[in-house]
Parts: sequence; structure tokens; C-alpha cells
Amino acid sequence: MKLVILCCNYTNLSEREDLYEIEGDLKIKRFPCGGHIEITDILRAFREGAEGVCVCVCEKGTCHNEKGNERAEKKVLGAKMILQEIGIEPERVSFFYVPRLDAEAFVEDLKTFYRKLRSGDLLADTTTNKEKEK
Amino acid sequence: MIIAERRPIPEILENIAGYDKLLVLGCRGCVAICSAGGDREVAILAEAIRLARQRQGKPIEVFEETFIRQCDPEYLEPLKELLPKVQAVVSLACGVGVNLIADLYPSVRVYPGVDTSFYGANVELGKWVEKCRGCGDCIIDKTAGLCPIARCAKNLLNGPCGGSQGGRCEVRKDMPCVWHMIIERLKERGELERLLEIVPPKDWRPAGGEGLRVRVRPDLAY
Repeated sequence: MKLVILCCNYTNLSEREDLYEIEGDLKIKRFPCGGHIEITDILRAFREGAEGVCVCVCEKGTCHNEKGNERAEKKVLGAKMILQEIGIEPERVSFFYVPRLDAEAFVEDLKTFYRKLRSGDLLADTTTNKEKEK
Repeated sequence: MIIAERRPIPEILENIAGYDKLLVLGCRGCVAICSAGGDREVAILAEAIRLARQRQGKPIEVFEETFIRQCDPEYLEPLKELLPKVQAVVSLACGVGVNLIADLYPSVRVYPGVDTSFYGANVELGKWVEKCRGCGDCIIDKTAGLCPIARCAKNLLNGPCGGSQGGRCEVRKDMPCVWHMIIERLKERGELERLLEIVPPKDWRPAGGEGLRVRVRPDLAY
């Protein structure tokens, strides 16, 4: 299974070895800001064989560019709308606000998404433990 | 500006089903400003088409280009060089652009990538609202600059209709009553008496009631 992570460079610097629990082909693509992640990046990842795309950006109020993270959330919404139109489950795209440089939360979110994809139950509850605590 | 909206992708895919080389052609005019057909939307649609066709097992080569405008023949000139590479064109311009391509290049299979909706303003990020119907006979000099043809659900020339409540339209509760706004504004200016003048029934011929509308300026035309 190929999983692509599109991530703001300032959100997290975790590498492949930090995500050893996730099997399969994992590709991490970093951007100067979440606001730089485009709908085409998400669509291209699917065209290049991804079965799931995860977009991770800094938490609200912590983006270096003020609203880059919120722009990313809108782009994910746009990508999901297009995917639905062409018959791909929008749940194959996941979006997370991640505390900056908190590798634990980042890894946890990715694992949850990976488990959901692997189980084939795309509508499974993907609320992370951290979100549940809130 | 002219407001447009991308057509459903399945409809676009149906139109181009028989081709394997396609040009998605954007326009940097109105449709770029309303985020329907500029460079970014060209890239998104092209990628969506590639992905969808790959999944159908019928890969397609999609070229991307955006012209400054598609509503002037001179701006469509570069299309000549692109046409030999493709079998069809999906234009993200408004209907004017699609029509002009069809006029100038009769052999080209050109398909609309957007639905052309209305003349509107970008009132907030991601929201466009109709402000003008293009009816060809403006009366907004009498109505404080607010157009009852475009903005009144009943197109009343001598409003209000009496159905509005609290300044909201009775047909669309989410819409302000434009006649309420007109009256409030004229009252503030001390010009309410302007409304005592009854506007006669509108001549709809300039609005397209006589078919194709053509404007010629003798001081410019040869």
C-alpha cells in the first residue's frame, strides 16, 4: 500500500524511521508551508499510485504565514470534492492539524489513518486519541 | 465580471471520451478572477482528467494552456500552434470564449469546461453575487445605483412589492430586498420623491428579446 504524506516543513521533521510501524510504501513530501500544498499535489499523488494521502499542517494560530494551514484545509476540501466526482472515496484523503514538532501526535495521526486504509473501512472513526481527549 | 462554475467532471469526461490528446485551455479574464478557469483551475482539471482516465484504463495526454483572454480573436491566435497536437479542446473560458473558438476554428472539437452563470461581484472570499443582468437598458440612475432587474426576485421596476419583511425578500429569505435598500438610500439622500416617477413597462428588446445583440461603434469599426 502506498501512502503519501504532504506536510508543512515546519510542522514536523519526522522521517521514515520514525514511522516504522507503518508498513508499505510511504512517501513524505514537505512544503515550505501548508498553504503551498495544492489540489493538484493531492490528485497527482493518487495518479502516481497512492491509496491514501495525508495532509498535515501546523495547528491553528501557529502557522508562520498566518493562514497557510487553513488554506490547506480548504484545498483538501476541494480535492475531496473532485475525487468524489471521479469515483474515488474522498475519505482516502485525510487532514490533520498537528502540534508543531510534536512527533508523537504526528505519528499517531498517521498510524490511525493507515489502519483505516488498511482495514478497508474508509468510514471508520479516525478521531485520534488526542482529539478524543479534547 | 462574468461568473462561471466548473461543470461536473463526469460531463466533461463524457464529452472527451473518444479522445486521447486534449488541450485544457484557461482564460485569465473574468473566469480566472472568479476561480473557475484560470491557470490554477486548468492545472486542477487537467490532473483530474488524467487521474480519471487512468482509472478507466484509457490514459489521456492533457496539455495545459491559459490565454490572456478568449473573447478577442487576436488572443486566440496562438491556438493555431497548439491545435495540431490535440484532438479536442476543453475551454474554461465563459461561453463567449467557447463560441469564438467555434466561430474561428470550425473544425475544432471544443467543449465547455464551465457553466457561465451571471454578472456578479466577489463580495467575500469564495462567494460571488449577481449584480447585473445585462439587460441593455440601465435604470440604476433612478434607483441609487442598485439594480432591481438583477437583484429583485420579481424584477420590479416600481417596487417594493409589499411582501418583504424586515428588509428581507419574501421569495428568498436569505436575500435582502433591493427595493427596501433603494428606498432607505434615497430617503437618506432626501431624494425619495424620485420614486414618484412611474417607470413604464420595460422594453426587453435590448435584453436580447430580438435575438443576437450586436454593438457597432462607427468611430472604431472599419
